[in-house]
Amino acid sequence: MTDWLGMLATPRSPHPELKGRVLARALAPRWRWRGPLAAAALLTLAVAGGAWWAYRTIGTLTSERDGLVARVEALEDTVASFIHGPATRLIQIPVSTGGRVGSVTIFADSVRHRWLVRCDGLAPNASDQAYQLWFITDQGMATAAVMPMDQDKPMVMAVEMPRGGGEGGLAEQRVLGAAMSIEPRAGSVRPSGPMVFHRLL
Amino acid sequence: MTSPKRLSQEHQRSLERRLKAGDERALGELFDLVAPWILGLALHIVHDEDEAEEVVGDVFVQVWRHIDQHDAGRGPLVPWILSIARNRSLDALRRRRRWQRKSAHLDQAQQVEGGDIAPAAPHEATVPGWPVHREVHAALAALSEDQRRVVLLSYFEGLSHREIAQRLHQPLGTVKTRLRMAHQKLTEGLRHLKDWVE
Repeated sequence: MTDWLGMLATPRSPHPELKGRVLARALAPRWRWRGPLAAAALLTLAVAGGAWWAYRTIGTLTSERDGLVARVEALEDTVASFIHGPATRLIQIPVSTGGRVGSVTIFADSVRHRWLVRCDGLAPNASDQAYQLWFITDQGMATAAVMPMDQDKPMVMAVEMPRGGGEGGLAEQRVLGAAMSIEPRAGSVRPSGPMVFHRLL
Repeated sequence: MTSPKRLSQEHQRSLERRLKAGDERALGELFDLVAPWILGLALHIVHDEDEAEEVVGDVFVQVWRHIDQHDAGRGPLVPWILSIARNRSLDALRRRRRWQRKSAHLDQAQQVEGGDIAPAAPHEATVPGWPVHREVHAALAALSEDQRRVVLLSYFEGLSHREIAQRLHQPLGTVKTRLRMAHQKLTEGLRHLKDWVE
């Protein structure tokens, strides 16, 4: 019953315009929170999107970094084995392509049956051509690698020497030398284009 | 002089039903009936015309949006609205007290302590609820001076028991006893106010 105490105060007739103001305020659509809520939702979405993007990007970069690290380590291992291997031979072959003088350097590791080949100063290929490296064996020419060269910069690669014999039933191929020719982009079974060099080791 | 409007219990229930059904015209009717009391109560507590009008707005917004929270079984609509008005007014007063502890408004507000509640002037008798106003004043007048003082400090200034004891330099137990006795007398004296009549 003490709630009735509110009527102790002297009633005051409100200004005529107060009713309109109060009713307009009370009956106004309740949009007040929609703007801030929408903004908050958008902000949350943006933050979540940014976090997802960052997570994905970090994941991708981490994966790429790991891949690069593995490749660098493998390359270091390969280079170290060629440089420090006691059975490695170094052959440097001057070449001339497209009117330019360059060189092909071969680290031949006869123990691991691998070659490390570095090409410097080779003229870039036409768009439908590529350099093809050959092993000269006692059984003929065997392809070593196809090297499309589109840019004027050195190229390094490791190639496995043909072993032959044994399990395949083929006679052992003995590598006698190396050759390089200019072939169609996909490579050839036998040398058919201009020879860049042909060298017995 | 216009004759006072009547707000019977049935009228209150009807208004409440319409408000709950979202009838906007019912809100306008409710304003005509109770706004003078809400404004008077708010003005008496906050002693500032603009703030009191702001309280009126707050009260009607709350009533319109939360009319479902009123349980008709626990009492009529008007006391519920008055309690909202009181709470809103005290909130405004407390906010202002925090920022303007020494303002002149407070000096005026403290006049309540001296029993500055007087019945409305005769021309206000056109306001609906006028008879209730007289009844409540009569019930308050029936209290002892000490009881009336603690009731007014509690209701219009929102002071806690401890704050009232400090203000009146009385023991806390005395204040509690006076308030309890006053509430019992008021409840008894206003028990018949189940309707709001001319």
